[in-house]
Amino acid sequence: MTDGGGRLVAPGARRRLLDGVLNLLTLLGVLAILLPLLWVLSTSLRSNAELYSTPIPLIPREFSLIQYERLFQPGYVSFLDYYVNSLIVSFGVVLTTTVIATLGGYGLTRLDIPYKRTFARVILFGYMFPPILLAIPMYVFWRQLGLINSYVGLTLAITATSLPFCLWLMWKFFQTVPISLEESAMMSGASRFRAFYEIALPIAKPGIIAVALFSFSIAWNAYTIPKIIMPDSDKWVLTVGIDTLTLADQVLWGEIMAASVLAIVPPILFVFFLQKYFLRGFRVTGMN
Amino acid sequence: MPGEAADVSRGHAVRERLFEVLSTRWVMVGLTVVPAFGLFLVINVLPIGWAIVASFHDIHPYNPEWTFIGLAHFTDILADPDFWEVLWNSLVFAGGSVVLHLVVGTGFALLINRQFRFAPLVRSIALVPYLIPTAILGFMGLWMANSQWGIINQILQQVGLIDGYIAWYGNTDLAMLSVILTSSWKLTIFVTIMVLARLQSIPEDHYEAAMMAGASSYQRFRDITLPNLKGVIFIVILLRGIWTFNKFDIIWVLTQGGPVGVTTTAPIYAYEVAFGRLSLGEASAISVLLFLLLVTVALIYFRVLEPSREVRVE
Repeated sequence: MTDGGGRLVAPGARRRLLDGVLNLLTLLGVLAILLPLLWVLSTSLRSNAELYSTPIPLIPREFSLIQYERLFQPGYVSFLDYYVNSLIVSFGVVLTTTVIATLGGYGLTRLDIPYKRTFARVILFGYMFPPILLAIPMYVFWRQLGLINSYVGLTLAITATSLPFCLWLMWKFFQTVPISLEESAMMSGASRFRAFYEIALPIAKPGIIAVALFSFSIAWNAYTIPKIIMPDSDKWVLTVGIDTLTLADQVLWGEIMAASVLAIVPPILFVFFLQKYFLRGFRVTGMN
Repeated sequence: MPGEAADVSRGHAVRERLFEVLSTRWVMVGLTVVPAFGLFLVINVLPIGWAIVASFHDIHPYNPEWTFIGLAHFTDILADPDFWEVLWNSLVFAGGSVVLHLVVGTGFALLINRQFRFAPLVRSIALVPYLIPTAILGFMGLWMANSQWGIINQILQQVGLIDGYIAWYGNTDLAMLSVILTSSWKLTIFVTIMVLARLQSIPEDHYEAAMMAGASSYQRFRDITLPNLKGVIFIVILLRGIWTFNKFDIIWVLTQGGPVGVTTTAPIYAYEVAFGRLSLGEASAISVLLFLLLVTVALIYFRVLEPSREVRVE
């Protein structure tokens, strides 16, 4: 180290000081992410008496599951119904998106079809649509088709926000799968479909898992589209259902926080265990 | 495999025959590309086309008859000062958000890209906000910044930064800033993830070569890291910009566009016209105008980056 300044401090010490500052900043970032989540969890584990007091003790004096119990109390809030609705729709979106995107991605990579560049642009353009710009037109269109308040209608509508990105992901993913394996299988007599089914598909598994994860997180996150095209309260998904609790005369914060904790659990579990696939998806597409 | 052909079972033969049929070119195209584009056409393109048609009509919520009124919705909207105000609000929300996301998101990505003991754990934690549904983030914000029991007010008061509890989302001066800060808790992470993916794709030997040539860590950052991030930063400004401009969920949950309209951005306005005033024709016209804005941004994106070149199209 022959840089002019800093003679008074040994270079090693300066390096350590810089590292310390950077580590401290990293810690601040981690706390900024974790503390709000911890506060939600801690709120959900208190009784109302402790919740609505000023100042609220930072550490709960006693743990209570009363907020969770009330969520599941029959005839109180329809939390369980909302949860099931969210699961149904998310399952539909994951299934539709994954199947269509995998097949489409394979076809676009391996088959010789004209206008591929136009297709690529159209898909990428579709990927730019924000939910609100789809939801209002969809409401007008779905009303004509009688798809308002229907799970099929909602599944298709949310798929519109997940399909372009996932199709793009699979398109780029199949390009990373060497075609030579399929070619040699076809050379030794396998049909094209068999080469796809028995060779390309198993190799593409990480991409398929990534697509399933992305479409699940998009479907579970959806708020704008279900709010607009599912006006019937029996058909509300979790995000929309909980939202109505915040608009009531008496806002049930304890229950809302307990519901939030339960809404956060599935995506975090899924993605934490399958994180490497998720990150690979980001790396393949370089976006989202 | 002539020897095996003899003992191929009947079922196997049927399967082979099926595979052969499935392998013909048009069946393959029909099974792979056609469903994808058919679905895309029905759920992405048709609704937009339908909205364009609707924007030329007066649509009553309970009357199935549409009345053709030509460009009247468009001339009304463009002459309405409210529309320009909500566009401005959207621009403030998007501009403020994107600058914040870029600075904090890129900074955090650089921090967690370093080698340190808990790096893998920290990188996992950084993914978490991405997974919190945006509406849930809204409830978290409403609770934590609550004007009666909010922990943020409590801490700020105990530290002595504020005298009394503040209604962060209900104050005309603070509402927009509060909404930007709350939504940034999640949206910043998109930038972090994108930048981190880019950083990790820079080949290690670039840095090694620079070190061999005697470049300081600042020089390596300036000459290797920054040029590599240019593309990502451009995408962030463009794509995150247009998405934030059209963000509906978080603003609706936090403020519904209030107080007195200071957080009414263009999508909130379109929603109110559609479901508050029940004027679907006019709401379609607003959607079409916002859509034209999106097309403009998309054209810039394709012109500058040409991302479709990334797929082999020959």
